[in-house]
This record gives sequence, C-alpha cells and structure tokens, in this order.
Amino acid sequence: MSTTIIEAKANLDNALNAEGRQIPLSSVQITDYDHRQTVGKITVDNPKMICRDVNVYYTGKQALKHVSIDIGANEVIAFIGPSGCGKSTFLRCLNRMNDTIPFCQVIGEIKLDQDDIYDKSIDVVQLRARVGMVFQKPNPFPKSIYENVAYGPRIHGMVDGKAEMDELVRASLERAGLLKEVENRLSEPGTSLSGGQQQRLCIARAIAVNPEVILMDEPCSALDPIATAKIEELIDELRENYTIVIVTHSMQQAARVSQRTAYFHLGDLIEIGETDQIFTNPKHKLTEDYITGRFG
Amino acid sequence: MAISHDAHTVKQFDVLLANLRNLVLEMGGLVEDQIKNAIQALDNEDVAAAREVIARDQIINGMQVKVDEDSVSLIALRQPLGSDLRLIMSLSKIVTDLERIGDEAEKIARMTVKTYDGVSSSPSAKLLRDVHPMSKLAANMLHGCLDALARLDVEKAVEVAKGDDELDQEFQSALRRLMTYMMEDQRTIGHAINVLFIIKALERIGDHSKNIAEYIIYLVKGKDVRHVKMDVLVQDALEEE
Amino acid sequence: MNKVISSPDPLQRNIKTIVNASLPRRHAAERRFRWYGLIAVSLGLAFVVLMFGNIISKGYPAFWQTYIQVPIQFDPAVIDPQGNRDPQALQSADYAALVRAGMRRMFPAVEGRLELRALYGLVSSDGALELQNRVLQNPELIGAEQEIWLLASANVDTLIKGNIERSLDETERPIKDNQIGWVDQLQAAGQIEKQFNTILFSSGDSREPEQAGIRGALMGSFYTLLITFLLSFPIGVATAVYLEEFAPKNRWTDLIEVNINNLAAVPSIVFGLLGLAVFINFFGLPRSAPLVGGLVLSLMTLPVIIIAGRAALTSVPPSIREAALGVGASKLQMVGHHVLPLAMPGMLTGSIIGMARALGESAPLLMIGMVAFIVDVPKSFTDPATVLPVQIFLWSDLPERAFVERTSAAIMVLLAFMIVMNGLAIILRKRFERRW
Repeated sequence: MSTTIIEAKANLDNALNAEGRQIPLSSVQITDYDHRQTVGKITVDNPKMICRDVNVYYTGKQALKHVSIDIGANEVIAFIGPSGCGKSTFLRCLNRMNDTIPFCQVIGEIKLDQDDIYDKSIDVVQLRARVGMVFQKPNPFPKSIYENVAYGPRIHGMVDGKAEMDELVRASLERAGLLKEVENRLSEPGTSLSGGQQQRLCIARAIAVNPEVILMDEPCSALDPIATAKIEELIDELRENYTIVIVTHSMQQAARVSQRTAYFHLGDLIEIGETDQIFTNPKHKLTEDYITGRFG
Repeated sequence: MAISHDAHTVKQFDVLLANLRNLVLEMGGLVEDQIKNAIQALDNEDVAAAREVIARDQIINGMQVKVDEDSVSLIALRQPLGSDLRLIMSLSKIVTDLERIGDEAEKIARMTVKTYDGVSSSPSAKLLRDVHPMSKLAANMLHGCLDALARLDVEKAVEVAKGDDELDQEFQSALRRLMTYMMEDQRTIGHAINVLFIIKALERIGDHSKNIAEYIIYLVKGKDVRHVKMDVLVQDALEEE
Repeated sequence: MNKVISSPDPLQRNIKTIVNASLPRRHAAERRFRWYGLIAVSLGLAFVVLMFGNIISKGYPAFWQTYIQVPIQFDPAVIDPQGNRDPQALQSADYAALVRAGMRRMFPAVEGRLELRALYGLVSSDGALELQNRVLQNPELIGAEQEIWLLASANVDTLIKGNIERSLDETERPIKDNQIGWVDQLQAAGQIEKQFNTILFSSGDSREPEQAGIRGALMGSFYTLLITFLLSFPIGVATAVYLEEFAPKNRWTDLIEVNINNLAAVPSIVFGLLGLAVFINFFGLPRSAPLVGGLVLSLMTLPVIIIAGRAALTSVPPSIREAALGVGASKLQMVGHHVLPLAMPGMLTGSIIGMARALGESAPLLMIGMVAFIVDVPKSFTDPATVLPVQIFLWSDLPERAFVERTSAAIMVLLAFMIVMNGLAIILRKRFERRW
C-alpha cells in the first residue's frame, strides 16, 4: 500500500507542478480507497505552509484522507466541520503534536516554507518553536504570569539576561493585549486570571518565542462572548505578524476572523474558499448542509 | 450550489422559511391581481374598480412590512448562512420590487380614474392601442417570476429576464407613436400624457420583474447577475458547476 | 393509581403520583443505609478506642520508674585503694559493694546471707553503673557521703505500681514478705519515689526490665528507613517517570507493569527470604545490619512508590504537557519542568505511606537476623541492630510483668511515629494539592 501512496504522491506532485493547482485525483492512480475531490482553489500566491496528500491513521483507522491545502502567509484560515471530521487532527499535524499520540501515523508532505516538517532532519522542538499552538482549554502553567511567558524563550535560550527577558515578557503580553490588565501582578499565578485572560496569557506565551505560524484549536470554546470578542480582535491584530490557523466549532467565529475557510467532513477536505464565499455560496452540498444546519 | 431540499435539523427553521416564502408568493399573487384589475378597469372605463385597486395597495404595503419584519427576525434569531441567507435576503429584496409593482398598478388605476372621472371626453382607442400588448407582456413577466420563485427555476427566471428587452422595445415604439399622435393633434396631449404614464408604469413592471428574476438567479446560483449584459447573465445563470 | 400506571401511553402517566407512591420506600432505604454506615463506623471506632485504651493503660506506667534513695558512702578504700585516682582503677572498682553497704546502713538489723541477698535485690544492678558514672565524672566525690536515688529493681517497681497482689501466697509472688516490709518502711520514710523513665529512651535492650530501653531499636529503625528511603525513593520515582512518560506501550512494558503490581502484593516475608539468599548469602553482607534491612525493605517499598508515583503522574492533566510541548519543550524538559514538580506531592505522599509501612514491618527483618538480642545502640549502617516492631515482638515474648508495660510503651512510640508520618503525608497532600 505504501508504494502506491508514494507513486500517487509523485504523480500528484508532477501534476501540481505542471498545472499550478490541484488536478482531479481520479487521474492519479490511487486504488486503495475512494477519494473526494476538494472543491475550491487550494493554492495561494504566497504560501507559508504547503500540505499535499496528507493522510493520518489511528491504529489502522484513517482519520484524514488526502488533504492538500496551502496556508498563506499572514492569513487567518479557519477549519470548520462536524466533530470527528479531522480538522483538529490536521491542525495537530502542522506542528507534529500528533507525535505524542501512540499509534498515530502521518503520511504525506507538509512544508513550512521550504522545509518538509516530517523530514528526519527537522527536530520537533525547532518546529514547535516556529509553529506555536493555543489550545481549547486555557492551560497556563501553574506558575507566575511572568514565568508562563518567559518559559518558552528561556528553554530556547532566546535572551541574555534578566532585563532582556523582562522586555520580551512585557512585549509579548502587550501584543496579546494583556499587559494593562496584569502589569502590576506579574508574579501572581497564571491560574488566578479569568478564563479569557488565561487564554490571552496562553497566546502571549505562544508569541513569546516569536513563531511564524500560530495554531489555535477552538480557542474560545470555553469562553464567554466578551472574552471571545477580545480574542477575535486579538487574532485580527496578530494577523499582521503571524499566519494563523484556527479550528472552530462556531461558524460565526470562522466567518468573523478568517479570510479563508476550509470545510472538513469525515476526514476529507471537502471545500476550501474565501470565507464570504463559503458562508454565502458554498459549492459543495455537504458544506451547504453543514453551514445551513441541515447536517445529519 | 443549488438549494438543498433536505430538512434542517431544527424543524422550526424550515417552517419559518416556508412561511416567509409563501407569504412572498401570496403577495406576488395579490400584485398580479392588482395589475390585472387595473388593466381591466382601464379597459372597462370602470372608475369604481380602479378606486378599489388603489385602496387595495395598502394590503400589499402591509405584506411588504410583514415580510421584512419576518426576515429581520429570522436573521437575528437563526443566523442563516449559505442558501438560507440568500433565500432570506432575496425574498426581502423581491418584496421591495413586488411592492413597487403594486405601486405601478396603483399608478395605472390612478390614471384610469383621472382619465375617466372627468368631464372631458374619453381618449380615442388608438391612444390606448399599445397598452394591451404591453400589459400582457408585463403580466407574463411577473407571472413567470412568481413561477420561477415557487419552483426555484433558473431557466424560467432567465426567460423572464430576457423578456424585459421585448417590453422595452414595445415601450420605445409606443412612445414614438404617442409622440406622433401628440404632434398630429395637440388636443390629445392631455390624454396622451396619461397613457404615457400608464405605459411607463408597465415598462417599470417589466424592470422590477427582471430584478426579481435576477434575485432568483442569485438565490439559486449564488451569483449576482445584476447590472451585467444579458449574454453574461444567461451564461452565469445556466452554467453547470 | 394502578389505573394511572397502566395507561396505554407510557408518556401519559402521572409522574407526580407515581413518584410520591415510591417516596416513603426510597426514604426508608436511605435512612437504613445511613444507619448501617453509622453502625459500621462506630464499631470500627469502638475497636480503635479499645485498642488504644488497652495499650495506653498498659503502657503509660512504663514511662515512670521507681527509685530508692540510698545513703552512699564513697569509701576510698573500696574505690581507690592506691589513692592515685588512676582512671583504670576507678573504672574497675567494686561499686556494687558501695550499694550493698548503703543498703545495709539503711537496714542495719538485717542479717544472714539469704536475707541480705533479698535486701540487695531491692535495687537494680544498674545502681553500681550509676555510681561509677558519677565518680568518673567527679572524682571529688570519693570520700564523701551522699543520698543518691538508685533505680529500684523491676519487682519493687511492679509492687509500687500496684501490679503485685500482696494477698497471694509468698511462693507465688516474685517478691518476698520481708522485701515488702522493707519497701513499706522505705515508702513511709519517703525514700521511694517514681521518676520519669529516661532509661526507656536512652538505653538499648536489657535482660533486666528496669534497664531495658528502645533507643537501640529506634536507631535501628532510623538507619534502616534511611537506607530504604535513599534507595527506594529515587529508584521508584525514576521508574515511575520512565514507565509513565517515556516507555513505549508494548507487551514488555505491560508485562513489567503487571509484575510491579504483583510485587506490591507479595507477602513481606518472601522479601525477607530473598534478602537472606541474595544480600547475606550471596553478597556476604553482615547479618542483623540496618544496611541489609534497608535493602530488603526497599524491595518491598519500591512497588508501592512506583504505583503511587505513576498515579500521581497520570493525574497531571494532559493540557499541561501539551502546553509545554506547544512552546517547544523537549520531552525531558516537559517532564522535568512541569509534570514532575506537579506530581511530586503525590509521589511524596505515596512514598511516606510506603515508608510508614516499612517502619511497621517485622517479618522480613526476622529472616535477616535483625531479631537478635542487641544491647548496644547501633552507631552505623553495619552495626547489628533491631527495629521497633521487632523489639516489640521480642519483649512481648518475655514473662516479666515489667516487660508487658514496656511492650505497650514501645507500641505507643511506634504508633506515634506512624501517626506523625501519615499526618505528614496528609499535610503534604493538602498543602500542595492542585485543583484543575
């Protein structure tokens, strides 16, 4: 089976190089399983990450099928879809967080700039410093606010001396829009903050190592609407400096924060397009059924 | 992407959407009647019937308000997306045009009253010659629109949109003829202007119908075909995805 | 009501009536259950109170010891016949003779060998040592005369504490009629009193109950537990961290896990046999030594610490691990910086409970010879020693009444240590417990 996939991938690569966009996979010799062709343009002009034919298996069960997509530089791209559709799985492929799950196998090609992130020469530590992550539940370390932000730069040895670290911590908190609220209590535990503040602290922690891409896995699902609005505003500001990939269950949120939206269904990337097009005029029936609440 | 006919997970949403569409179709039927009655009143020189048409316009106005209210509440409460959003937006725009068509019918009725309620003599039949074919064309267009809306039929909508050109040409030639009459006999000017208003109203009905047809195309195909050339419209609307 | 229940549509039944009908039954069941619980708890408490009451009532007199005031003439002729204050001579002088002389001076009327022996038997043989110590510390005493409180013999002590029935026939008592007479005289003269028993905590084991103490056993327990802790805690924590965080999940690690769980359930005497075979017979380590005892108890405590450690590690929420990995921490950094510190209170709690169990363990130590009669207080890990529970076991076997109360006293000390250790575990848990 693996040879077939490699051949198929080679064929696909050739086809992509020739056409500059995805060609119908029916012309590529994949005989092992049926494939759903993604609707919409998967390529962008200035890609930050390029994913081609990504497959994920959990103990033999295929969780992600032939996902090919570009993630553009300085764009916010949203992944939507029903539970178990593979959107979080795919997100976790992008910084190899799936490595921590036993029996999880990723086949395919994911490039960050020019580097194949699944290549042996790439260390996950380096990758995760470049591709930061914010999780569903705010998960600050049970340490002080300062330590939370300083942890990443410290383990990577990014700064020399206390003064420089102070500056970096303050800058990160400032950029995460949290500095004003916590300026006078940096030594208090991060867990003493409110849920929304904790999540912004987690964002500050992620941007403290100056990543190129930030992955957000349902970052607002545990927050109230006001905290959510603050995070969304923050996402919009962060777009200037970072590429952001966000998984969300809230279609309104995807619509509000993202420029492009991808719809996943049962492990397939069904449709990708400009966010306004996806939400006003989706091309695929599954997308339409999902966003209009006809699913299932 | 065509409209999905599967039921929503929330059944009540289906009911509300269906109610809204039925209300618009009902309003369309009412507007159709108004045009028919206005033209009939003109034919029969029946001032009373014309007044009735004028009075009934209030019902149509009321329905427009009702449809807009329902649309707003649907948007606020259900946050529609995709085809649902297009449906609600299109319907709320369609009712605007329907209401205008209703206004045009009222205008025709007012002209009827003005023409036949006075002491002056009736206009000669040749002045009114063009009203009939034009009113038939306009009524057909409106009927076609409502038909297309009821069945979400893009081909029918395209047909309606195409029909507007014919009506426009009819209007142009009617206008030229009226001008000729007015130049020939200046006493006819008073009546001719009234007739001019009537055929202008019919021409407007055609324009509104065309708008409705365009909304239907947007509703079904998700493509905005307003302000484009007819061949582009036809191509966009009938293109298979 | 039956009509309501048998309504054709199950959703049409009147829930209020149905529930009301069943409420008394449910409430009665709840009340019954509460009573069962109360009874069970009170029964348990009653037994605890009974046990503690029994032990304390038996053991508390052991903390007091009877002393007899004896006028001692520090006769230079006996202590230092040469008169040169030679320490060697002072060391080996016959101080017992001084005690005997003192006793004779108190009761000059007593004559005859048997009578005198009975009289001398009132004070412990420890008296001679006491005098020796005083003289060695202060040679000025020689030639002086002093009233000195000497330790009474165990029998006198028992009599004073009222544990000898005076009405019994003389032959059935360990103390004779004439002795009782002297004791009564001394008591009347105020020359007998009970003092706090420092010997119990300051000396090692002895055949004479009044001289026997638990210091040897305490030090033995201390050295043994120190070895146990130093070995089992680091190894246990390292094993738990490796198995939980780093080891691949496969058949081998499953096997290891099952075996660790089984080891925790192995009877402790088996570990003793293992220690005997491996540490003493194979490696040739000294018998009766805290070193071997500690090694054996480490083997026994390790599974407990590993299991508790793994439980503590799994209780650290995965979100913390993800957070650390998410900013680019390596696996070791994730464990070292975040998971281990958070799991440490749980691990310490488990370890302390394991140590408390090791403290109370006697069976495996019997197998490696820590059951010997050892008078000297151990000074190192390789000195022969015994431990507190074994000391209790030894004393409980002895017939003297005075050892019965010492057994109980030793049990009280052991229980006190247990309570302190478990209390420490609870404090650690409460103090550092995190709520997620």
